[in-house]
Amino acid sequence: MTSTLPNILSWILWLPLIAIVILFFLPRRNETAIKWVSLIVILVDFILSLILLGYFDFSNPNFQFVEKRKWIDFINSYYYLGVDGISILFVPLSVLVTLLCILISWDSIKDKVKEFYLSLLVTNIAMVGVFCALDLLLFYLFWEAILIPMYLIIGVWGGPRRIYSTFKFFLYTFIGSVFMLIAIIYMYIKFGTFEYTALVGKDYPLHIEKLLFLAFAVAFAIKVPMWPVHTWLPDAHTEAPTAGSVILAGILIKMGGYGFVRFCLPLFPEATLFFAKAILVLSVVAIIYAGFACLAQDDLKRLIAYSSVSHMGFVTLGIFSLNPIGVQGAILQMINHGIVTGALFMCVGVVYDRTHSRAISYYGGLATTMPLYAAFFMVFTLASIGLPGTNGFIGEFLILLGSFLNNKVITAFAATGVIIGAAYMLWLYQRVFFQQVNPNVVGLEPLKVNELAALIPMVVLVFLIGFFPNLCLDFMRSSVDALIMNFK
Amino acid sequence: MMMLPQLNFSVIGVEILLLLVASIIFLIDKFIANKNYAFFLSLITVIICAILVLFTPFGDFTQAYKTDFYSSTVKLFLIFGTLLVLLISYNYLNSYTFINLGEYYALILFSLMGAFLMLSAMDLVTIYLSIELMSFPVYFLIAINYAYNKPSLEGSLKYFIVGSLSSIFLLLSLGVIYYFTGTFYLKEIFVKLSESPYKKELLLAGMLLLISFSIKLSMVPFHMWAPDAYESAPLPITSFIASLVKFAAMAVLIKIILIAFSPLKVQLGQLLIPIILLSILIGNIMAIKQDNIIRMLAYSSIAHAGYAGLGLISADFVGYSFIIFYMLIYLIMTLGIFSILVVFANSQRELLYIPNMAGLSKTIPFISFLILIFMFSLAGVPPTAGFMAKFYIFLSLVKSHYVWVAVLGIAFSVIGAYPYLRVLKVIYMDEEKLTGINYRYDWSFFIPVGITSILVLLIGVYPKPLVEFVQRTLFLYLSTLYFPH
Repeated sequence: MTSTLPNILSWILWLPLIAIVILFFLPRRNETAIKWVSLIVILVDFILSLILLGYFDFSNPNFQFVEKRKWIDFINSYYYLGVDGISILFVPLSVLVTLLCILISWDSIKDKVKEFYLSLLVTNIAMVGVFCALDLLLFYLFWEAILIPMYLIIGVWGGPRRIYSTFKFFLYTFIGSVFMLIAIIYMYIKFGTFEYTALVGKDYPLHIEKLLFLAFAVAFAIKVPMWPVHTWLPDAHTEAPTAGSVILAGILIKMGGYGFVRFCLPLFPEATLFFAKAILVLSVVAIIYAGFACLAQDDLKRLIAYSSVSHMGFVTLGIFSLNPIGVQGAILQMINHGIVTGALFMCVGVVYDRTHSRAISYYGGLATTMPLYAAFFMVFTLASIGLPGTNGFIGEFLILLGSFLNNKVITAFAATGVIIGAAYMLWLYQRVFFQQVNPNVVGLEPLKVNELAALIPMVVLVFLIGFFPNLCLDFMRSSVDALIMNFK
Repeated sequence: MMMLPQLNFSVIGVEILLLLVASIIFLIDKFIANKNYAFFLSLITVIICAILVLFTPFGDFTQAYKTDFYSSTVKLFLIFGTLLVLLISYNYLNSYTFINLGEYYALILFSLMGAFLMLSAMDLVTIYLSIELMSFPVYFLIAINYAYNKPSLEGSLKYFIVGSLSSIFLLLSLGVIYYFTGTFYLKEIFVKLSESPYKKELLLAGMLLLISFSIKLSMVPFHMWAPDAYESAPLPITSFIASLVKFAAMAVLIKIILIAFSPLKVQLGQLLIPIILLSILIGNIMAIKQDNIIRMLAYSSIAHAGYAGLGLISADFVGYSFIIFYMLIYLIMTLGIFSILVVFANSQRELLYIPNMAGLSKTIPFISFLILIFMFSLAGVPPTAGFMAKFYIFLSLVKSHYVWVAVLGIAFSVIGAYPYLRVLKVIYMDEEKLTGINYRYDWSFFIPVGITSILVLLIGVYPKPLVEFVQRTLFLYLSTLYFPH
């Protein structure tokens, strides 16, 4: 199959580089050209990633589209790319998120336009790289490289407290991942290879395995973010520009969950079993704690940020249920959450661009002044709650089902999170869109073309996955089954 | 045992050339009105030196001096650095015309010659003498800034006194070594040391040696001179001290430990653990609060010397080769950032204070972008060369089972990210402060900054050729040292 698509992953990965080079030589005053070049290149990239999906072989649990070239061969490190059922869906999702970010920032970014689009393109490369890399050193390179553009995106184009937030974001994630580096080096010294496929199934003494697991898990837990290391997320989400929030919610925090599935589970199965219960408890705490925190927020973005923490709690819950249903649900829920929360942040960005306020009390009665916008927001709210028919339902249902098979008490607690979720989202909707029309929102401009273009694909995806979840589940089934075989 | 030493002058051609040219500059400087001649003369000399080093045959010049894989490779790296320093100096001295040009370049050449001699030296006395030869011109070069910066005398004197202290420790160490082994030759010390019953006493000598070099490398607790000396020197000289002098000192220390002290290298590495961890920690913490970017870079250079020193702890030759790699990358990064700072110093000196850099990304976006690259590289974030350098150092540490040292070192590097991020924060995220400054760029800016920034990115994604080259050099050196053909 790969012979028909030579080097497709490299093409998807490095295509934005073309745009970066062009952007370097474009004069900075020519903002229209900068935007169009980025848009077109990322659109082509997205089409390529859809082609990748089309050629994926569902029955094969192993890595496909594998590329392996010499990189730093004297330490046995390769330029080694490949995707399997676990990672493949994240590739088009990353590119899609970048694409929509370009659309949603079309008018709202007015300052340092060139730098902004450069940062977005670099972020795209790093995101795709994280999901494709099968060499641990290469993976780490992409994993860390994403900090540079995100540091700038939050810090330069963010809100009033952006500097505090961006430092917090950078240092939190940096401190998490450096320990992962030591663990990677340790594994390399022990087995002489960075290749993921060669490291799977190696045996360690249990105490070493636990330490290695922790070193990886801290990095991923901070990215996810799990309670109690979640505090960077509300700040970063709140202060980031819309595009930054969308990338954070859409992809960045998925990298943590992906890391758990990709690295922690197969590389350290015994340590996983040992720590599973602790992580399940932390997940439930995150679900409930963040849910209650949402109820107390008076800031639109902060509320959605806390809801992310709660939803990602479901994801870790699913992953560490350690059965196929739970893990599939978790991966699906990551994709769903990327779509839904990304879309919610875009929606907030839409009104923020018009009013420059994120306070919930500032709004009210938006349904009367912007009916179409209210409809969009409704769809995403319901998807976030997990109403049947939307994609959120499938993900949460599968996770709870998987978790129920594993541990009934924890599932019972986690299920309350769904109710809290409904409470805060519906209450938010009521406060912002119904009630009396607040004079602040009278006469707001209706949705613009670029905003519609960014939101419509999300609505389509919400219902598409909601009604046909097998579109996604088919991809991951065989790979997840193979992964879980380790634990039987 | 030995043949009568034949004086093979072709081996030390490089040093002779440097000596001649530097002396000639001193002699004729008074009679030439256009002072730019000194720059071009030194530039050409250094380029010729590079060619000479490439074609110099490996061999002995008496027992005390030897050209080999190791010394020639490090010499080439130093020449590369000197070329950049010369270009930066040319740019700087265009605006600071009171500095006496002739002496300036001649002293750089003298210092370089000292470094070369030191790298090729095969006995401790020669090493001591050439360290002095390397250091003395630098004391002058700091004080040469007196016309612009009165405290530069203080910085120079401070460096001189601390430098003398370093020499004293080195001499003490030499005395102890001679007392217990009866020789100064590195290879003979190795032989005597392996069979000597006085291991403990010789370990003391090794410790004194480490103290002496710690002063040169500005490691905690011998670091106090660095910020003052860095701040008071002319900017290109600061970059010269930070990159080249440290590189040379580190390379020689590796050589001494590798050859003479190799039976004790593990113990010496363990002795270094507190010094190095403290250097990293204190260097990084002190850098946080500095408002003067030169002082910030001085403290960061303390931390970076610490990172490079981590390779000494690992005590195997792979680790040593990664030190060379680290110092080379640090040299590239430092010279890159200093070539930018020189532009700031030329246009408006206040720009050297970090808060005054606010909003530079608006006025000079491209330069700001270059600063971004160098800062992330200094912080060690991929995909820059700084990450690769740190990665290899930690690789060698873990390989030698010092996982806990690696964990601490890498945890401190998170603290170390802050000062660099702060510079970027000011440049990219703060409101513009100084406006209407004329920035002058010419080729003497574009060449160094272009070379260094491209290298930083290139090595960041494809470090293989360089690391392999450095490692192979050390390997070949060791094999020819112990098994000469």
